[in-house]
Amino acid sequence: MTLDLILSFDSLSRVDGSARFGFGLYPQYLTSISGPIEVRLASEQPSQSTIEVHVRPLTNVPGTESKKAAVILKEVLQMEVIMEANPRTLIQFVVQALVPTPNVTDELVAAMINCCTLSLLNAGSVPMRGVICAVSIVRLSPVKGEIPIYKVHLTEEPIPRLEATGCFAFLFSDSVSSNTYASSCIWTNWHSSYSGSAKAVDEDDLVRARDVARSAAREVWDRMKLLIEERERPKIAMRGSLVKNASHEMADAEKMDVEEDDAKMEI
Amino acid sequence: MRPPSPSIPEKEFLFSALKQGLRLDGREFFETRPVTLTFGPELGWVECSLGQTRVLAQVDAKMIKPPPERPFEGVISIHSEISPMASSEFELGRPSEEEVTITRMLDKVIRRSDVVDKESLCILAGQRVWHLRLNVHCLSDSGNLLDCACLAGIVALKHFRRPDVEVIGEEVTVHHPTSRAPIPLSLHHNLYCFTFAFFSDTSIHPVLDPNHLEQRLNGGLISIALNAHRELCVVQKSGGVPLEPADVLRIVNVAVQKAKDLDVIVESRLREDWEGRKVEVR
Repeated sequence: MTLDLILSFDSLSRVDGSARFGFGLYPQYLTSISGPIEVRLASEQPSQSTIEVHVRPLTNVPGTESKKAAVILKEVLQMEVIMEANPRTLIQFVVQALVPTPNVTDELVAAMINCCTLSLLNAGSVPMRGVICAVSIVRLSPVKGEIPIYKVHLTEEPIPRLEATGCFAFLFSDSVSSNTYASSCIWTNWHSSYSGSAKAVDEDDLVRARDVARSAAREVWDRMKLLIEERERPKIAMRGSLVKNASHEMADAEKMDVEEDDAKMEI
Repeated sequence: MRPPSPSIPEKEFLFSALKQGLRLDGREFFETRPVTLTFGPELGWVECSLGQTRVLAQVDAKMIKPPPERPFEGVISIHSEISPMASSEFELGRPSEEEVTITRMLDKVIRRSDVVDKESLCILAGQRVWHLRLNVHCLSDSGNLLDCACLAGIVALKHFRRPDVEVIGEEVTVHHPTSRAPIPLSLHHNLYCFTFAFFSDTSIHPVLDPNHLEQRLNGGLISIALNAHRELCVVQKSGGVPLEPADVLRIVNVAVQKAKDLDVIVESRLREDWEGRKVEVR
């Protein structure tokens, strides 16, 4: 299953990092991050950095929907950024909507989380625990048979037979090689869209939805890695795999040089 | 947080370069940075960049009941709060002096100079008029946010198409864009704003389109809004350094020429974008 995504690094000049992300054909959000920078005395914390998130809709002044999104983002970003590394500093995110967003739905929350992650990767100045990718999942009532269907939900169009919906955010950190990875679900708002108990959510249902979300989030993560690879080595990404193997050898040789240098620098 | 003032070596370097007739980014004194206009998928969405300075503008329209004192005119409102994305020196909720200047200038250029024909926004007198909302988001401040914001606002208004409305008696029918092609706004003229910075050392000539450092170190700014037909709409001078009348006239002449050039660029970009879209079938 290939997801329809658009993601790119931006180049805003007065902030440390910026990126655009959107599910579908057009970017939905542009996020900028500045940090670690000087913090106001009132919001300073003695042993960790302060995270500030501003969500700005395209039309109108920011209202309660923006505030709700900002609270969710702050919670998620606190798990991604290593706050203790830079005490008494500020890490400031501004999430600007590029499309009209009258209601902040689950897929928009997922897009915002992915966009913030991309801007952190673009900045490179803030230490991160891992990479957080998010997707939105819906559960549809079965047409025939007993098993309900779980699907990744990308667009804002209304879905028939909707029973439950929610956004899942996963923290990815690479372990030994690129084939194995550790991912843990760090945030979700899986909820039933019916008030009756007949179609409620229970533990098994949550686990099934989370598994579907995990593989979709892995795809988002792979796309992010591809974007970084294209930026770091644009020529390699364009040519074929033969050259790719040769360059891997070169990269290994470079790595060995760097390690030798590190060894020489140790006193 | 406000960043510290530029360092003394930077200041001295800039002033001595300007005295020799050189600008730090290699431009001529009356040369603007390259203008890039990017249109979004929706009509009325444009991202305008003047070098590294970037502004996003978007127009949308809804129908409201007009205020009783003006029952025959539509309403235009402009929202332009600067977020910390433009620079971390801007704080939400506390408008800096520059932000206030931009808000007032946008108001003068777009609302008070009658760019949009407000009477054409009337649907049913006294009951239904169009309320146009222009949202201006400053994405990056590398000097001269004002010119960029005004340009983005004007181009967004030119790019926008409102739904077609049919009035039969007292009944108002709004046609969806898929059934009847949306129609452009009726604009009286296109206003372009040009900002010149001048310095406390009066031997240095004014520079057009100051970049970030020139704006931080300026002794005064003069902004001129005019259209391509040599008609001045707004002249605003701020800062205490005095300016000779001869200099002001020279600046106006430069602005007139630049307005003509900019008009050509804007019209050609709009035409290019229009040809790439399928809005109506003729």
